[in-house]
Amino acid sequence: MKDVYPWEAKIRRNIEMRLRELFERWGYAEVEPPTLEYYALFEKTMNEEMKERIYKFLNRDGKLVCLRPEFTTSVARMCSRESSPLPLRVYYSGKVFRYPSSPFRTESEFTQVGLECVGRGGPSKDAEVIALAILALKETEIQNFEVDLSHAGIFRGILESLPLSPSQKEEVKKAMKRRDFTTLQGLCKDSNFPSPLRTLLPRFPFLRGKRDLLENLAPLFPENEKWQKAIQELLDTWAILEDFELSEYLSVNIGLVRDFDYYTGIIFEGFSPQVGYPLLAGGRYDELFQIFGKDLPACGFAIFLERILEALEKGFSWKKERYSPPVLFYPPLFRKRVFRFAKYIRDQGIPLVLEESEKEGFTLTTAYGSFAFEELEEEVFERLLKGEGL
Amino acid sequence: MKKLTITIPTGRLKDEVLELLSRLLSTPLALPSRQLVIENASLPWRIILSHPKDVATYVEHGVADLGCVGKDILLERENEVYELLDLCIGKCVMVLAGPENTKIEDLLQREHLRIATKYPRFTRRYIQERGIHADIVALYGSIELAPAIGLADGIVDLVSTGRTLRENRLHVLEEIIPISTRLVANHVSIKTKTREIEEFTKALEEVICNEDCPKTGWKS
Repeated sequence: MKDVYPWEAKIRRNIEMRLRELFERWGYAEVEPPTLEYYALFEKTMNEEMKERIYKFLNRDGKLVCLRPEFTTSVARMCSRESSPLPLRVYYSGKVFRYPSSPFRTESEFTQVGLECVGRGGPSKDAEVIALAILALKETEIQNFEVDLSHAGIFRGILESLPLSPSQKEEVKKAMKRRDFTTLQGLCKDSNFPSPLRTLLPRFPFLRGKRDLLENLAPLFPENEKWQKAIQELLDTWAILEDFELSEYLSVNIGLVRDFDYYTGIIFEGFSPQVGYPLLAGGRYDELFQIFGKDLPACGFAIFLERILEALEKGFSWKKERYSPPVLFYPPLFRKRVFRFAKYIRDQGIPLVLEESEKEGFTLTTAYGSFAFEELEEEVFERLLKGEGL
Repeated sequence: MKKLTITIPTGRLKDEVLELLSRLLSTPLALPSRQLVIENASLPWRIILSHPKDVATYVEHGVADLGCVGKDILLERENEVYELLDLCIGKCVMVLAGPENTKIEDLLQREHLRIATKYPRFTRRYIQERGIHADIVALYGSIELAPAIGLADGIVDLVSTGRTLRENRLHVLEEIIPISTRLVANHVSIKTKTREIEEFTKALEEVICNEDCPKTGWKS
């Protein structure tokens, strides 16, 4: 649990506002799903590990409710009720709640700012969402961030093609999800493992590069439809992002693993060397809407605001100064005139605190110092408050 | 080339890890005895020494790119890191053990079974998967003592030679999982320093005594 003090709250709000403005400039509209949701909603979309991390409790009717662990599922439900023309472009900003991933961690409340593009599939929408992810990171002014790209179909395709029993496939999948490549190396030594994969699978975390990596990977499994489709989609998306002039921030990373099971297409993650955890994550999830009885493709991402702040804090040291607005001390006798003056000042967007004082005369405390006056000299006060004529 | 930061555990494993790194450098690597962060121009890496249990935490938070850590700690902590390589050192087995005269069936039939361990989270998962009902007694050390003094009926602990077990009149009831030291990497480092980590992993793989490595395979 963490308190946010004024100096930090201001920076947080500022970043959040800039992200909102960016998303709105691209035609995304804000939605706000409820903080308290029925647990049944996530029962269907989350994997076992994530389900254990949801804050659940009974409401008065004995129904199981929970604090939202993420936004995407709720937004999908909202969008599946909406009858507006497609594609729907929506964004959200707010807290999500999860029990810490282990007792050795404490964070349980995170701020996510994210967006979803619902109702159309294909590389042009993928590229739009990834472009926005890059622009969002740019907007936060983080130094040297990068975005890694992969495709859920790559691993799905491989898994499908393996001549293994279902329980063995489950072992491969589990090891991959845990990023346990030691176990994977052991499994690959099995003589049933087909030859290119035997050496390729343990190298997955190192398969990172630019567009040419995709061109090299394509011919490895010419027969595997899922693999071919995944590589093609990545190539098409890459080409569009090149036209957006954003490919300098991009890498293809075949070893990318996402925690949610609902991704079906492109997946991506943004990070900066300053922080050891991803700053944003997202991807395409074309099957999630099926649980709401709709068949809608969708793609989106979420930024983890606290991690952005951590990266920024490491990049340059913030002045953790106390917030001290200007204060005008006045004798009660002048209350009415002072109130009128304060309204005039505040209406111009200048903060002003009023304090009654027992002393005669006025004192104006600003960032530049403290000034005493015998009279209510409105014009001088105004100039001082605006920092003019010092 | 970006310089990699590597975390090495202090204690029993330190010398074995240093021996591996010396083989990598083809020259003996001696570290200053009291320094915990070693950064010098002649070394290709920055080295941090840490408590064995903290290695994966350093890597998880990104203060180190790589670390050498026991699989037992990874299983207990479930750190979010990439596990890249079995270093084939610090080898032992995580076992369920009990008094000499008991069989596993006897133990499992106890009405109120108590198991002492240094690995409470791992043990909880193990007894759940095994379908055993048991209370876990979490201890920091001298686990082998627990059955003798009546604190627990059995223990879950690491065993290398089995000598300590015998001395405490215990024996292995079930081997749960083989343990050894692993090379782990931070999520972001593996992306920002991919080539460096790949080369380091490859080079390390070549100097590991492969005959010491068990052929790990399928559970099913």
